[in-house]
Amino acid sequence: MSAAEWHVVAFTLRVAALSTLLIAPLGVGVAWLLARYRWPGKSLVETVVTLPLVLPPVATGLLLLKLVGRRGPLGQLLDRAGVDVVFTWRAVVLAMMAMSFPLLVRGCRVAFEEVNVRFEQVARTLGASDWRVFLTITVPLALRGIVGGLVLAFARAIGEFGATIVVAGNIPGRTRTLALAIYDDVQLGHDDAAFRLLGVAAAIAFVALWTSEAVLRRRGAPR
Amino acid sequence: MKLELDGVSFPLAHFDLDVTARLSSITTGIFGPSGAGKTSLLEAIAGLRRPRRGRIVLDDRVFDDGDVHVPARHRRIGYVPQENALFPHMSVLRNIRYGAADAPVYECVRVVEIEHLLARRVTTLSGGEQKRVALARALVTAPRLLLLDEPLAGLDRALHGRILDYLRRIRDELRVAMLYVTHDPEELAGIAEETVVLERGRVVAVGKTAEVAGRPIISPGGP
Amino acid sequence: MRRLILLFVLLFPTLASAATLHVSAAASLTDVLQELAPIYEKHTGDTVLFNFGASSLLARQIQEGAPADLFISADELKMDSLQQRRLIVAATRRSILSNTLAIIVPSDSRVKIASPADLAGDSIRNLALAEPQSVPAGIYAKEYLRKLRLWQKIVFKVVPTDNVRGALAAVESGNADAGIVYKTDALISKLVRIAYEVPAAEGPEISYPAAVVADSKQPAAAQRLLDFLQSPRAQGVFRKYGFLVKPRQ
Repeated sequence: MSAAEWHVVAFTLRVAALSTLLIAPLGVGVAWLLARYRWPGKSLVETVVTLPLVLPPVATGLLLLKLVGRRGPLGQLLDRAGVDVVFTWRAVVLAMMAMSFPLLVRGCRVAFEEVNVRFEQVARTLGASDWRVFLTITVPLALRGIVGGLVLAFARAIGEFGATIVVAGNIPGRTRTLALAIYDDVQLGHDDAAFRLLGVAAAIAFVALWTSEAVLRRRGAPR
Repeated sequence: MKLELDGVSFPLAHFDLDVTARLSSITTGIFGPSGAGKTSLLEAIAGLRRPRRGRIVLDDRVFDDGDVHVPARHRRIGYVPQENALFPHMSVLRNIRYGAADAPVYECVRVVEIEHLLARRVTTLSGGEQKRVALARALVTAPRLLLLDEPLAGLDRALHGRILDYLRRIRDELRVAMLYVTHDPEELAGIAEETVVLERGRVVAVGKTAEVAGRPIISPGGP
Repeated sequence: MRRLILLFVLLFPTLASAATLHVSAAASLTDVLQELAPIYEKHTGDTVLFNFGASSLLARQIQEGAPADLFISADELKMDSLQQRRLIVAATRRSILSNTLAIIVPSDSRVKIASPADLAGDSIRNLALAEPQSVPAGIYAKEYLRKLRLWQKIVFKVVPTDNVRGALAAVESGNADAGIVYKTDALISKLVRIAYEVPAAEGPEISYPAAVVADSKQPAAAQRLLDFLQSPRAQGVFRKYGFLVKPRQ
């Protein structure tokens, strides 16, 4: 593996980790709301959240491009603030966030739905605030599913391609991720290099899954 | 203890609950066939469920009245659900201490005789032991009222007497008022002075346990 | 009986020669070929289906066995690679067009580019090019900038796209401050303007070779189409779009 290839791997890991970190609070929160409450507009939120999962990834990339591109509603504000998004690492993080968010919400939502409401009810009668119930009862009991959701989101971010190439471009040294680098190698006929990077991608996924299992086992998280 | 229920009403699966009663004994039974709405009534009294209409007043504190709804965590009403709902990811001691803040828990532990169980994980306890832990946990907040939902359900007949003894100790030594929900009138004989009979969501009788609970249940299998 | 068949064939010429041709052509030819195709189809009754893309991608596809009857590349290198592998009918290969490069900016841009050297300035934060490692338009642009000793100064700004139309789109959207595409691409779009036109004499030698694909099931029909593309009628249309027409061999 060349230095350039290691750089691509390191870059991909960094942006994927940042992406997962950024969606974690919102994803867990939205999953919680969807699991526990009914409210007007809930189906709309459910649909919007699931959209990146069912649309072609390049379509999601297009929507992001229209949003944060220099002429887009958000893009204009960012441009005035001097912040470039399209064709920079920020767009890579954005694409990863959009594509992995639905997976995180799904995983966490199922985990929350499996936590018996009775535990939360008893905790409330014992004087716990909603926050305390959430942090000391709900999350620990749902932890396996939450961690699973986060790992899945991270893995999805690592593998993200379609939306990334549309909104961030495939710029060596700036936005070329592992997935884009494999694509380039395939395009140029460098199959050996493509397989090398493929091996690295698989190794990352393996390590991520193994780590999450080990962490959960140590906590003795109840089934 | 003075509990006023005025037209407390909300929809259940097959009918509406509509309860009016004034209770002042230190231990009151709530008796009725399964499906009569007993558990839902307890949830409303505990503040876990908001009635559609009606007033709930305990010891001259208004807990529910039209727009007013005091959340469960401020009511200091203990709740022991039928399935106990002991927090599976915590030890016995941590379960008991959950509602305690800095208050000492010794009295609660002593009255149900579980000193020897404190370090155990709750999932390793027998049915009777779990019930006693659930009682101790609820008592830690020095509740104004303790709600017991079918406390003897799922326990061996041989244990019934023992658990009832502990409940009598709670009543006599700790002077904690209790609402005891059951479908078996014989349980109430030695412990509740007054009993409310509930059928299809409505109060059909209130009075001394011996007189009222002696009546046969009109619809034994439920609605 | 034979007279009946002859009558049948004469009355319904389409039945006798209806071919469906798959043409893989460089992205920069998209608009001009889409104007020429219906003319050809009406005359001959053939159907022409296009696959537009970067010549590097198209060559790779043909290599992997994608169905194509005619291949029109934007540079000789891609055609060479197919010829080496005997994937084209060498005898049918000829260069039919040329083109020139243009530096473009979004039409509402206020940036001034008096010469290519201005691309190194701060007001150009990024420069859209077709992938300079493989796509002809990008290779030509890189070659040109290298010749002017500008490549090292701007390489970090380059936003590579899959094909030349991608570079055009990036500038059209305003997300790229400038781009280098073929003049013919710039002329198509109202959303960009040509800031600097590279004179043919200064720019790289651009050549569009075309050839019948070796595995074609209708080589005769493909040849007919290729001949049509070099007819005076077709050449007129090419010129209209800004292409330089190579004389027929």
